[in-house]
Amino acid sequence: MSSSNVWSRSRARMRLFPELLAQCSGEAAAYGKCVASTTTGKQELTKNMCVKEFEALKSCFQSAAKKGVK
Amino acid sequence: MNISVRSLQSLRGLSSGRRGAMNVFDRSTKRKQKEWASSLLDSDKYDYLRDEVGSRVADRVYDVSRTFPLALDVGCGKSHMAEHLSKDIVERLFLTDISDSSLIHQVLKPDGVFIGAVVGGETLYELRCSLQLAELEREGGFAPHISPYTAVTDLGNLLGQAGFNMLTVDIDEVQVNYPGMLEVMSDLQGMGESNCAWNRKSLLHRDTILAAAAIYKEMYGNEDGSVPATFQILYMIGWKPHESQAKPVKRGSANVSFADLSKMSKLQKTNEKS
Repeated sequence: MSSSNVWSRSRARMRLFPELLAQCSGEAAAYGKCVASTTTGKQELTKNMCVKEFEALKSCFQSAAKKGVK
Repeated sequence: MNISVRSLQSLRGLSSGRRGAMNVFDRSTKRKQKEWASSLLDSDKYDYLRDEVGSRVADRVYDVSRTFPLALDVGCGKSHMAEHLSKDIVERLFLTDISDSSLIHQVLKPDGVFIGAVVGGETLYELRCSLQLAELEREGGFAPHISPYTAVTDLGNLLGQAGFNMLTVDIDEVQVNYPGMLEVMSDLQGMGESNCAWNRKSLLHRDTILAAAAIYKEMYGNEDGSVPATFQILYMIGWKPHESQAKPVKRGSANVSFADLSKMSKLQKTNEKS
């Protein structure tokens, strides 16, 4: 395998994704519920409709990434 | 069984023009994706879907109670069907991949049969909807990330236009469970099935991926935490025309009425007695 390049590094980062997401399952569920509820309601889904839940999910995800995968 | 492997790329130029065929897919990208996938050390890990569909297509070949002196496996990949076919069903088998499918008409004799399997409209709907909703919420619009698939209703037309008779189409659903959306996507990549449509967007934002994974789990997740991915496989059978094949009779020549269907059970009883 050739030396580390941007593709191998970004693939390595993506491999960590599922474990990091697992640490934020509560925030992920909240965000998912918010989006799912728009599919049943009369309102159409527009940009940033669930931004609060997403920001919570994103900050949880980023702090899990900073802590490193245990 | 004799198996010959050939690349029929050079014959592409000989194909007659396709009426109204849309150029949806970037075939050179698809070829690169498939070559990359087959170069992976653990490429067998991704064969599960093709192995399953290969054995189901081979079943359908068996169901046609005939011995074929010669058969052509188009889009063979790593050959997922040859292992299920025996010499009394297929005497000689040719395999080819990424080659022009209009070759089938050059190769198929009258009263020859074409048995095929393609993925259909509902395939990966979970992935498609999750990405769509995520892109809408995060970016305000969405682009297609999943290939357009054939609908069942279109298959009949396609086979008919290609000149086949006595068409049958049936649907199978294979549902595979994965730990999460990312694993679905990496398995698709490992199968060489990444998007290669010309209209594909080459970028998927990190935020959108995160959002889509959360939506996928929430909307479609199973109780044990895994997520399902649906592959809808459409199997089709068409026959190259030949005089021996049954033709639809002329209108108005019916000599039995549908009303007689109710009398069928009575007819069966009298047959049993006599």
